[in-house]
Amino acid sequence: MTATDLVPAGFTPPVDAETVSVEDYRAAVQRWLDEHAAELAKPAEHSLEAEVAQLGKVRRALFDAGWMRYGWPVAAGGLGGPDVLRAVLNEEIAERDLTDGTNFSIVEVLAPTMVSYARPELAAEMLPLLLSGREQWCQGFSEPGSGSDLASLSTRATRRDDGSWVVNGQKVWTSLAQYAQRCVLLTRTAPGHAGITAFFVDMDSPGITVRPLRTMHGIDEFCEVFFDDVVIPADRMLGNEGDGWRLAMDLLPYERSTCFWHRITYLFTRLDMLLAEAAKQETEPEAATDAAIGAAYLALHTVRCRSRDTQRRLAAGAHLGPETSVDKILLSTADQKLFDTAREVLPGTIELTDAHWRTEYLYSRAATIYGGTAEIQRNIVARRMLDLGKE
Amino acid sequence: MDAEEQSLLAEALRGTMTETAAGTALDAALGDLGWADLLAEEPAVAVRLVFSLLGETGAHAPVLNDVVLAATGQPLGGTVALPYAGGRVVVWERKDAGSAPDEGGLLDGTLPLRVLGAGDDAEAAAVVTDPAALAAGRRALGWWLVGTGRAMLALARTHALDRVQFGRPIAGFQAVRHRLAETFVALEGAEAALAAAEDELASLLGKAAAGQAALDAARHCQQVLGGIGFTAEHALHRHIRRALVLDGLFGNTRELTREAGAHIRRLGRAPRIAHL
Repeated sequence: MTATDLVPAGFTPPVDAETVSVEDYRAAVQRWLDEHAAELAKPAEHSLEAEVAQLGKVRRALFDAGWMRYGWPVAAGGLGGPDVLRAVLNEEIAERDLTDGTNFSIVEVLAPTMVSYARPELAAEMLPLLLSGREQWCQGFSEPGSGSDLASLSTRATRRDDGSWVVNGQKVWTSLAQYAQRCVLLTRTAPGHAGITAFFVDMDSPGITVRPLRTMHGIDEFCEVFFDDVVIPADRMLGNEGDGWRLAMDLLPYERSTCFWHRITYLFTRLDMLLAEAAKQETEPEAATDAAIGAAYLALHTVRCRSRDTQRRLAAGAHLGPETSVDKILLSTADQKLFDTAREVLPGTIELTDAHWRTEYLYSRAATIYGGTAEIQRNIVARRMLDLGKE
Repeated sequence: MDAEEQSLLAEALRGTMTETAAGTALDAALGDLGWADLLAEEPAVAVRLVFSLLGETGAHAPVLNDVVLAATGQPLGGTVALPYAGGRVVVWERKDAGSAPDEGGLLDGTLPLRVLGAGDDAEAAAVVTDPAALAAGRRALGWWLVGTGRAMLALARTHALDRVQFGRPIAGFQAVRHRLAETFVALEGAEAALAAAEDELASLLGKAAAGQAALDAARHCQQVLGGIGFTAEHALHRHIRRALVLDGLFGNTRELTREAGAHIRRLGRAPRIAHL
């Protein structure tokens, strides 16, 4: 396959990637989503299977229409154009509540890795499979012994005489691994940060066992993944030996721009839902209700403003670094504050009657844990932004 | 005004605020620096720079009046009755108050604030209600509060690095570091909210975020500074007094947050204000 084959012959992109304005792009996406609202609507069923199928369906429709290709390089099956186009698409998907609140934007932390670190032929072959929803991919980073201290990971990759690699170890908190066809895997090939090496692994390789974790929010999307003598061809290495840590750090700008924007937008839709439910209540709201709603709105508005600034800096060519820990802290705090407010404003709902609010409330408890704990983020701010020296 | 010009202007303002006596002298000095023209021509830049620097330097001048006057198309230089928390009304006089923070019967006695009471009904009736003027005042106060918060953070940071206990600077203790990090995060968030504050709702939210950040800064920084931060010899208390008093102007954090909540509840939707 060559790069020119990646976009089918005769396909006319709906807008010009390089010249379209954010406003025009948004308007065009909105028009298209409005026209296709019925076919894209979320199914009534709320199982994880249904959610994953919906993710695939939405991505595929967006890919076939071209939208899912904007902001990705032409050489990897994209249509080019700036990153902000992806953020706009994520926002519009979230505003319409077409997918769940996090997994749609998982592409944002998987695809850039392929673009930057995979051999160009591998990226060109694989990326369209992800973007088009034909495949799910997962990210094998965390391990039972390596959570906050990711660099201590111990899943070992050993080179064999024929150049291929054998992997042994265990990953955990691997989202959607039970549905994934591929995994971006961090392994240990030598001591230290420079001894971490990344691979692109087929999940149907012999020796991989996936076991979903039961979590408190009731959606078993996180998995344990076991690797027993799993053989990986040499040409599936991402970057070079020892590039794994840099690869993991390079995801930060994507996680902390488009992914965050997606989650922020999603949380705004939940605040809207909360307002709608509050309006249905028979008793006149107390002043405390308005105070709680106002505080949740203030927190969400604040992180939205911050994230907008961050994305503008990124678009202007700035290198994103430790200052994005501020975005992460603001977002996780706002996330929990919103669902705490829902529990306050809708007394008894989460505990007794409504499984959706319950699930989302419980999931929000993880917001200060996943993606780098709130404590790790504060350590980064203290060390890097406030220059307080070592602990 | 480009970034370099803004930076030059900021340095000039900082120098003036540091070297000039706060109050009427600084009011006159800002006038000499072209405050009126700046406010007319580049209001967003003028307000951000002047008010955040008042906070950072701990200076004060009665220029909040000018922001309100300009927003309603009136000539600068006078005073306006200003809304305060709890339904009170104050006037920020264009004259000098006491020089000590604990003088004059107010929490921050250095500010020439006159509280309107019985007998001031006519004056109080003229209190600012114009939405554009309220928004402009809130933006200015928001920047002032953020500047005050930055001043407190700088004092606490210096103390944390200098103060040695158990054989090492207390900045090495995670409990201390996290308080300072939390302060920084709140101030950064408030700045982003203020930078996006154009309409009335966004200005209200910007001031609420700034007030919350300044109150958080006061709490965390006072704790990090320990005993010295509780003395009159250390500068911290001046900034804490300032933050508390400024928070009350044009509605305090608690009132504004509740107002925002009531507003979106009536609206039935949470407005998205900052756009990509």
